[in-house]
Amino acid sequence: MPLLEVTNLKQHFTTKKGFAGNKTVVKAVDGVSLTIEEGKTLGIVGESGCGKSSLGRSILRLVEPTEGSIKFKGKEIVGVSAKEMKELRKEMQIVFQDPYASLNPRRTVRQILEAPLIIHNIGNKIERKELIEDLSGKIGLRKEQLSNYPHEFSGGQRQRIGIARAMALNPKLIIADEPVSALDVSVQSQVLNLMLDLQQERNLSYMFISHDLSVVQHISDKVAVMYLGKVVEIADVAKVYDTPIHPYTRALLSALPVPDPTHVKNRVILEGDLPSPSNPPTGCTFHTRCPMATKECREIIPPLEEKESGHFAACIHV
Amino acid sequence: MLLEVKHMSLSLKRAGKYSKILDDISFYIEQGETLGIVGESGCGKSMTALSLMQLLPEKARLEGDVVLQQKNISKVSKRKLEKIRGNQMSMIFQDPLTSLNPLQTVGVQVEESLILHTKKNKKERRERVLQLLNAVGLPRAEELIDEYPHQLSGGMRQRIMIAIAMACEPQLLICDEPTTALDVTVQAQILELMNEIKRETEMGIVMITHDMGVVAEVCDRVIVMYAGKIVEEAPVIELFGNPKHPYTQGLLASIPKLGRRKEKLGSIPGTVPTPGSMPTGCRFADRCPHVMEICRSVTPEMIQIQKSHQTACWLYDEKEGNENATTRSHELEAALHN
Ligand SMILES: Nc1ncnc2c1ncn2[C@@H]1O[C@H](COP(=O)(O)OP(=O)(O)OP(=O)(O)O)[C@@H](O)[C@H]1O
Ligand SMILES: Nc1ncnc2c1ncn2[C@@H]1O[C@H](COP(=O)(O)OP(=O)(O)OP(=O)(O)O)[C@@H](O)[C@H]1O
Ligand code: SF4
Ligand code: SF4
Ligand SMILES: [Mg+2]
Ligand SMILES: [Mg+2]
Repeated sequence: MPLLEVTNLKQHFTTKKGFAGNKTVVKAVDGVSLTIEEGKTLGIVGESGCGKSSLGRSILRLVEPTEGSIKFKGKEIVGVSAKEMKELRKEMQIVFQDPYASLNPRRTVRQILEAPLIIHNIGNKIERKELIEDLSGKIGLRKEQLSNYPHEFSGGQRQRIGIARAMALNPKLIIADEPVSALDVSVQSQVLNLMLDLQQERNLSYMFISHDLSVVQHISDKVAVMYLGKVVEIADVAKVYDTPIHPYTRALLSALPVPDPTHVKNRVILEGDLPSPSNPPTGCTFHTRCPMATKECREIIPPLEEKESGHFAACIHV
Repeated sequence: MLLEVKHMSLSLKRAGKYSKILDDISFYIEQGETLGIVGESGCGKSMTALSLMQLLPEKARLEGDVVLQQKNISKVSKRKLEKIRGNQMSMIFQDPLTSLNPLQTVGVQVEESLILHTKKNKKERRERVLQLLNAVGLPRAEELIDEYPHQLSGGMRQRIMIAIAMACEPQLLICDEPTTALDVTVQAQILELMNEIKRETEMGIVMITHDMGVVAEVCDRVIVMYAGKIVEEAPVIELFGNPKHPYTQGLLASIPKLGRRKEKLGSIPGTVPTPGSMPTGCRFADRCPHVMEICRSVTPEMIQIQKSHQTACWLYDEKEGNENATTRSHELEAALHN
């Protein structure tokens, strides 16, 4: 049984636009199905606005899903009470992109790390102190630094504090939404190394959301590629990166600048920009930019199918 | 030589006192060459660009010489400088939305520097604007000239910025993170456009970026900056294949590489020192795995360690002695591998 099983999840936002207040519906997540195994990482990649963050938030029910099912350890969590959800959050945590915004500036690191323990009634004061000091050691902070405030730390340190906070309750699953996107590469690698270490040590599962293809490749076991609210390809990391099937995945990978000046490029340049999610194209939503598009693509919505063993893609021409 | 920068230093006032943001920067660019400037956040890349353009915050203290096409522009009058900017050199910024005027149409903004710098009449200017918009790959140029920036996507706005910068065919184009704010498929379009411009003009380009992938893709030669100083300079293939400075080595080792999965990445402990509190000696000393006693007291100068490869680090000796040593160690390595 997978740790997390998401089936046909939809997250639609209704917004009012213009003076007339016309309603528009943004299908931020539009029928996503995926699973995450225990101790493994599922990477979610895709360009801005494709619904990565909405998917993560929806799974944690930080926003109420419009439709679909989310099973955690086999138990349906869509529709459970707030009280039950609080219990579940112990096991499902989130790490955000911006370590500045997500840490309370008026609390010391010790208070920040202790807060989730207090909320969930874990340990007595002494036990909590031990737990926090153990955690801070893991993220490379000295004991004295625990009485400092977030602004006294660098971006990378703050992000590690964010990870430590998520780890405090010893969760099974961490949803990390662009956790290294605001960091310089030398610091980004510290955070990635920490995440890999913690995963090994605690058999953690990650849903790792990022627009950075090389970072996702580095940390993931399995990868889902999203385009306009839909998963267009999902498979083991090696399959997606070495033998991509979907035309969008192929273009995306070929667009990535490779940090090797001797690398010979064979680039597929896509025309145009991402269409607006509030007014997506008909049929296959990628047809406006797809180099392989035909007339049928404008009409048929391609289902996500197993094209090769364990390798799923949504395209009628591959 | 198209541009030569000699001993440029910049001090800015923050919290009432001056601190040195750039410290004794020297480099050059040949015609038709693309020079990359890399380094992590806050190391002074943007300030280097803005110093070249002399678009600095108030009360900035800029020292040293900037020689553009044999002419020292660091001491010319404001009026002359305005002539040079946009005409001989122009700049593209990271965020096209903040650098475009939201209240003016695309056409007006592209036309502006043509009015400033050329004697073209209205009709000729319109022709040139349309031609420029086409050249940067924008569709429906005729309609576009009457539209406003907010009606366009990020990629289109950046194309417009490029069109504006190219309007008077400058000899030097300075690009500060031109694709950082863009999605990867759109970034690929812009990089392709830049490569096209490179092929078709003899322009020198300064490409500022923190993305080593972008560097590898478009640059001929690279400068690595750390904490307001240049620490290494080499042709792009040499820099990636044979990095010398421990900072460059650390930077390259931290990048996740395609094909290597779940491997431990290299990383650089600690953080960049801030302008107000620069350590004496080598500024990288606190983070350097090879730090020695001398590093903490004496600042290493840039030295030539191989033809067209320079670095500022005490691990390497002046010129010939070291050159011999490295060739020898290469031969040794080759012998061992055979
Ligand atoms: N609360 C909301 N109300 C209305 N629309 C929303 C809301 N949250 C997200 N959206 C819209 O849903 C779409 C998907 O947004 P989302 O933030 O999930 O994308 P993303 O893939 O995380 O993008 P990025 O890479 O820029 O973070 C976007 O069009 C966004 O504007
Ligand atoms: N207006 C200003 N006044 C004082 N100091 C400034 C000002 N602007 C920038 N600085 C400082 O100058 C230094 C160099 O900044 P710069 O913007 O050149 O860095 P950068 O290499 O472009 O970084 P990034 O990759 O984040 O764009 C930084 O320490 C920064 O804090
Ligand atoms: S279904 Fe058609 S448009 Fe969509 S990805 Fe496949 S070929 Fe391209
Ligand atoms: S001079 Fe010394 S501290 Fe600086 S990079 Fe070289 S070895 Fe390291
Ligand atoms: Mg997001
Ligand atoms: Mg900058």
